[in-house]
Amino acid sequence: MSVPGAGASSPFSDLGVRVAETLARLRLAGGVTVGCSARRAVWSRGKTTLYRYDPITEPIRGARPLLVCFALVNRPYILDLQPDTSLLRRLLASGRSVYLLEWGDPDEGDRLQDLNDYLEHGLGGCMQHLLGTHSLDAIDLMGVCQGGVFTLCYSALHPTQVANLVTLTTAVDFQTSGDLLSKWVRELDTQLLERMGNVPGELLNALFLSLLPFRLMQQKYVRLLTGRADQRAVEDFVRMERWIFDSPPQAATALAQFVRWFYQENRLVRGTLELGGRVVDLKAVRQPLLNLYASADHIVPPAACEAMGRLIGSRDYTAAAIDTGHIGMYVSRKAREEIPQRIIAWLEARSGGRARRGA
Amino acid sequence: MQSFFAYQSPQSEAAFAGAAARFFELLKTFAAQPPGVPGQPTDWTSFGATLAGQFEQWLRSAPAAGAAFAAAAGLPPGAGTWPPGPVPLGPAAAMGADATAWELLMKLGQLQGQLAQHWSEIASSAAQLFLARMRTRPSAELSSESALALYELWVECAEEAYAATVRREDFSHLQAQLTNTAMALLLAQRRQAESLARAWGLPTREEADALQRQIRELREELDRRAARPSQGTAPQAAPARSRRASKGGAKGGAKGGAKGGAKGGATGAGRRRRGAARSKPR
Repeated sequence: MSVPGAGASSPFSDLGVRVAETLARLRLAGGVTVGCSARRAVWSRGKTTLYRYDPITEPIRGARPLLVCFALVNRPYILDLQPDTSLLRRLLASGRSVYLLEWGDPDEGDRLQDLNDYLEHGLGGCMQHLLGTHSLDAIDLMGVCQGGVFTLCYSALHPTQVANLVTLTTAVDFQTSGDLLSKWVRELDTQLLERMGNVPGELLNALFLSLLPFRLMQQKYVRLLTGRADQRAVEDFVRMERWIFDSPPQAATALAQFVRWFYQENRLVRGTLELGGRVVDLKAVRQPLLNLYASADHIVPPAACEAMGRLIGSRDYTAAAIDTGHIGMYVSRKAREEIPQRIIAWLEARSGGRARRGA
Repeated sequence: MQSFFAYQSPQSEAAFAGAAARFFELLKTFAAQPPGVPGQPTDWTSFGATLAGQFEQWLRSAPAAGAAFAAAAGLPPGAGTWPPGPVPLGPAAAMGADATAWELLMKLGQLQGQLAQHWSEIASSAAQLFLARMRTRPSAELSSESALALYELWVECAEEAYAATVRREDFSHLQAQLTNTAMALLLAQRRQAESLARAWGLPTREEADALQRQIRELREELDRRAARPSQGTAPQAAPARSRRASKGGAKGGAKGGAKGGAKGGATGAGRRRRGAARSKPR
């Protein structure tokens, strides 16, 4: 790959050298893999699959299993991208059984799949399977981003099944003043959107990138190219890039409902959300809740997450802003230490004396 | 199934190459400025138009959701002039567009023109911001490190100017109108294709949707039956396929009993995949 304008006679020839070296490292990094922990599928329905991650340490006897529910709009392997940043690995290292729900890719045959299907058949199916398998009345649940919204709704509709709830970068108020995404979709015709059919992941990527186009489509590349990144840093970057551009398509009906009910009508805040004929009342969320969010999130603004505290019914509510951005919540150096530590300590404090190290 | 959208995400290597090329183009623009008088700020005024022009060109070509819908409808990306010239009409091209489609196409072109005005405004405002901040800096010889600092300042100004415009109500309104019009145009084109398909006796999207709705209703009925507490007898008049699926559902819950069975993998696919071999790290 040539670097225009960076020839030997250029005043920036040393930058040209740096760029050329990084580009060479990028070519070597083309074969990086993503996802690092062994797991096995234990349940599925339609496109939804539940995975159990293999233990990596002595299990804690009596600890409740933890089910992680990710968003529909991205793939969950960001939580297990590579060993040193894997949130799932850190949770496994605490001795818990960790499960992950993967939604899979909807095809055109799934275009009518709605939010209630995802919630009751997808998340609900996983919950029922785990409650049965572990012979428990309730398990711990963690929702990430849009998945956090699902776990909140599920906890409100099935409060007895969720012992403790953890939410990461989860919006509740979708109409806060700093929410650019919300402003942009407020007048979108969701009936047309639904009739269009499934929306490709690339389109949503374009939408997310266009929130901060110069930083996300220019500056981050220039910083890497000119920053004397070593091979490992380049590989980390490539893994992230792969994840960012590897977005699944969105089922037409579910996406249209999400835009209309959450972004346009803000039903979660107004208490008017109905799923499967039942009102989702956040006051019914009475289990302990840990709400972690990013203080510099351009997709889910902090204020959108902070609203949770005043809307839920739980008396055991802990919220903490992590000093990073949306993606940084999963991969930044700070977050990779702070977030798992907080989650593990919080869950252990609420294990009710059930959890004991040793099988 | 092939998506109707034509938008492609940037390939990583291309993204790097593009960013590098634009970066060095920008540095060349920095370097091309006449040196300032020692001890006095450099006069960057003549630099503004070049900078704004480069930025505007990039904004027009950068991916955006509304533009992606418009591209899917046949309007070339970044089309900012009206009339846009010959426009491919996707599946409707062979038969010609009806009046509605043409009206929508004209409206889309006008909206694209309005969007281009916003890009122009953002680019100009970014350049002005940059120049204003440059004037407060002491003149210094351009080195790699100072060029990188200038670049960071430029990005800051560009994002600031962009945010000031795209957060406005009129921009949000335009963005929504653009997307809605592009979707309406695509659906109008689809209607034309559907009418032709119907005339030729080919299955249509409408029929596929109707079938999907029927399948969905059947699935819901199966779920309802599987969720009912066992009454000691098989559901009356349940077709063979339904009974098989119900059985699968009951198994799917493992130790979950009736509760687990209700939700637990009623499909054949679910049974096949359950207990699948360990997946390797990706």
